[in-house]
Amino acid sequence: MKIDSTELMSKLPLQLAAAVPDVVVVDEDEDGVLPAELRNAMVRLRLLEGVPFAYLVADSALLPPESIRFFYVDRRWTDALVQGALSVGTVCTADRTQLTAQYPAVRNELDQEERNRRRREGMARWQGGAGPVSGFLLRSQAVSGWPAMHVRAFSVDPAEADDARYPEDDPRRMRLLRLERLAPAVLLCLFDGIPKVVHIEEPRQGIQFGFEATGEGDTMRATLPPRDASTSEYIEGADPIEVPFRAGATGVVDIQELERRLAAVPGTGAGDGLSSAEYALQLVRFPWRQVFGDPEDPKPPVGRVLRPTVSYASLVSAQFPGPRR
Amino acid sequence: MAVGEGKFVLYSRISPPLHAGDYQLTARQDLGASTSTGALGPDELPVQQLETHFRVRSPRFALPPDQALSTFPPANAEGSFGSRLPQIVIKRRTLPWERDVGPGGVETTPWLALVVIAEGEAELKLNQPIAQCATPGVHFDGVAEAELGSYLQVRKSIVDKVFPTRLDVPLLAHAREVDIHDTELMMGDDDGFLAVVIANRLPLPGRDADGNEVPVKYLACLINLEQQFQVLRERAPDPSPFTVHPQVVLNSNLFTLPDWDRISMGMPAFPGMDLVAGGAGLGVHAAAARPAAARPAASVTAAAPGPTAMASAPAAASRTAAAAPYEAGGAWASKAAAGRSTGDVYADMARPFERAYAGILGGGDPTYRFPVLLHWSFTSAGQTTFRNLMEGADLGLLGTTSTEPPPAGRPAPEVVETGHVGLGHKTRRGDDVRIWYRGPFVPHPTVDPPGGRLPLAHASDQLRIVVPDGREDLSLAAAFEVGRLLALSRPSLIASLLRWRQLHYQAARREAIWRLQADFLEAMAIDLERIGRDVGGLLGRGLAKVIAAQPMDFLGNPRPLATPGRALAISGDPLRALTTGLGIAASALVGQPGEVLSRLASTAVPKAPAPNVTALGGMSSATGVLATSRAVLKGMQDLQINRLALDAIPGLGTVAVGAVGSARKPAARKPDALDKLIDSLGKQEEQE
Repeated sequence: MKIDSTELMSKLPLQLAAAVPDVVVVDEDEDGVLPAELRNAMVRLRLLEGVPFAYLVADSALLPPESIRFFYVDRRWTDALVQGALSVGTVCTADRTQLTAQYPAVRNELDQEERNRRRREGMARWQGGAGPVSGFLLRSQAVSGWPAMHVRAFSVDPAEADDARYPEDDPRRMRLLRLERLAPAVLLCLFDGIPKVVHIEEPRQGIQFGFEATGEGDTMRATLPPRDASTSEYIEGADPIEVPFRAGATGVVDIQELERRLAAVPGTGAGDGLSSAEYALQLVRFPWRQVFGDPEDPKPPVGRVLRPTVSYASLVSAQFPGPRR
Repeated sequence: MAVGEGKFVLYSRISPPLHAGDYQLTARQDLGASTSTGALGPDELPVQQLETHFRVRSPRFALPPDQALSTFPPANAEGSFGSRLPQIVIKRRTLPWERDVGPGGVETTPWLALVVIAEGEAELKLNQPIAQCATPGVHFDGVAEAELGSYLQVRKSIVDKVFPTRLDVPLLAHAREVDIHDTELMMGDDDGFLAVVIANRLPLPGRDADGNEVPVKYLACLINLEQQFQVLRERAPDPSPFTVHPQVVLNSNLFTLPDWDRISMGMPAFPGMDLVAGGAGLGVHAAAARPAAARPAASVTAAAPGPTAMASAPAAASRTAAAAPYEAGGAWASKAAAGRSTGDVYADMARPFERAYAGILGGGDPTYRFPVLLHWSFTSAGQTTFRNLMEGADLGLLGTTSTEPPPAGRPAPEVVETGHVGLGHKTRRGDDVRIWYRGPFVPHPTVDPPGGRLPLAHASDQLRIVVPDGREDLSLAAAFEVGRLLALSRPSLIASLLRWRQLHYQAARREAIWRLQADFLEAMAIDLERIGRDVGGLLGRGLAKVIAAQPMDFLGNPRPLATPGRALAISGDPLRALTTGLGIAASALVGQPGEVLSRLASTAVPKAPAPNVTALGGMSSATGVLATSRAVLKGMQDLQINRLALDAIPGLGTVAVGAVGSARKPAARKPDALDKLIDSLGKQEEQE
């Protein structure tokens, strides 16, 4: 074995480039191209965790109060972020040669792993290369007042009604890469792909109990559509029940009278005496679901959804005036 | 029973096996045995009776924080909760039925009730000695689990108005089983069984004198009804088909909803403006901001404003859940409410409820105290519902600027269609310039540069871009630097990166070096993937294996097992050679076999003369051993020569007398060592 050291060193970078193993990670805790703990940190960085908000949205005017802003994620930006973090581990030129050689595999691994960040326990791991990532920022009282709201994104406009239920593994549902409150009133959501329709739903935690209220000046009336105690569906044909209130108090419901009125409607379960479960069932109110995405006009003109202060055309014409006429 | 995802099962009641309290357990054991004389009864085998005391504990004066799974409306929230009944979800499914409510109730009556109090209707006192937490004269059996507790001091008139009736209480608590996989409902519960207590009162927003909606702050208290169940009304008065909104004396025209938003964020709505402007008594943070006239002290019953006063609940909002980014400036505010403890938040929520207005006509209106296990406050405001907020949200792609004019003193941001924002920048030399910056969120899908993604950069300066308008685009350079600083801010990440460098860079480099020698290693039958520390041993073994397989290439031909003999060169007629060799006449072997045999029998065997050994031994030994051996050799040589002389008898032909059966032909042979010896001896002879 004859080793020519000069030749060896000149060939080494090429050899290193070819030597990158193509490892497919099968477990969070398993080392791939990157060691597991390093990979998890880089994936978090990929999903912009810890990035100061001013770097995400450079000016507060871009996210005024009570607004929702959709966006695409610039992969070059997130790549640069990861490159900056990886640069901490390089000390000498040889390290940089090595990192350059490993970088494509590192990037591919992160592309795959960023999808598995929010994977539900027990579900199959997601694989595949990098796709587009989009998302939205919501700055609203709805975020601070209704914590833990639900966000769902669909790759196609679901044919069902807007209030249909969708199982977690519905193939039309898009994965959420990140759903997090960055501030009490700012919600960041990242989708793995570009959704056609986005549902934002009032939090379901602690099902709410209440009535349909109608206001008339200083007074307030409320009605309660009766439900069937066995199926929990609204009883068809039954008129909504006027909710009785305690005289002389504000907002206090007269539950005994309500029970008597419910008992008059067959099927409510109140006929043989109302139990607390039956009472709760009658009062359950379902949360509101806001649907974003216009199936009628899938491609609105950009001017309707993007209003910059400087148009690109004017910027270009200001810089390149062109020949004078 | 498994509950399907997104479904839940309601139970009217889940009773605990035992109510909370002290119990005595007596264990008796009867032993029996049979012996040869007959059976032994229990009396003959006595076992001592075991008497044990045990205590079933249950929260009584304070709900442990981990037991409250969720509340609705959320604590400190502001919203349109007017058509929803407040509720609390408790983790322990049996909690509402774990205590005996006392006189007036039955075993199935919950001992807990959730009451909703508008500001001024009752007093909430925090951190009082347990003994003072119930109406004087009411005694609780058993032990208190805490030193301090909270209580709600409320007049009988208010109890009659807003507390549930005795018949209502059982209907307001139920148990619920939710699907354990629905994480939104779960929030950390272990078995999916929960207890829920609902209030009986809708927290309606208020109305001012002009009929406009104003926010009203409500307090929800989970109270202990033990021993005081009979304070509640037995049945409700005749129902009314409608209810009235609380009348609020505050002239709230000064404040619009966005102002409320700012106030509730804990920031001044208008710079330089006192929050009590208008003298209406809008106590935002401190009780000090309350004009005494509008807020009589609780004990001053004579100064009650009148029968309608109970509904006068001036709104206040001291919400602590500050939405930090709500600020007029361009920069993002830092977190304002950091470092506050849970206790501070509870105290804040209780603060507006420290005082109560006087009840109706003071006099014969007794006061009761109920222990409060948990309290939280929220503000019921006008139209702000989740639905309104979502439907009214300003929708656009990131890059869309606000339609409202920018705040004074601040120019409108410079936003280009591409999503780039013009920002001030100080270069390293100190020049103030404008640069373009665009974060990771862009309004258009980005196109990867030709040849794939962003190539690896090793320094942020590699990513600085000068765009045609002369400004620098620092977006990617900033991203690189943010990533680098984030990594540097975490020592564990640095350690991990350096470990990776050590273990993986160097291992990869070593592997690449070996890979350059792939051909050689293949020849050595070494698996390239298996190169490790034992490569030396592997190489040695490989070498031995290769040598064994191809010895010709390494060691040359091996010696044959048997060496063939030398061919004797005999020329002439074989018969003559034979007869000559035997020293008999050639004619003796010619003729009939019988004749030859008889002829041979009569022929005398010729004998060679024996060497003169004595002559050899008597030679002078002056020349030593060498001379002796030479003399021996010479004697032998003489024999040889005699023999050769015989061979050389003229007329004898040459006969090839090779080894019988050998296939080897006599071949011209190189002179070997023996030949050389003979030659040298011959020459020596001549010289002598």
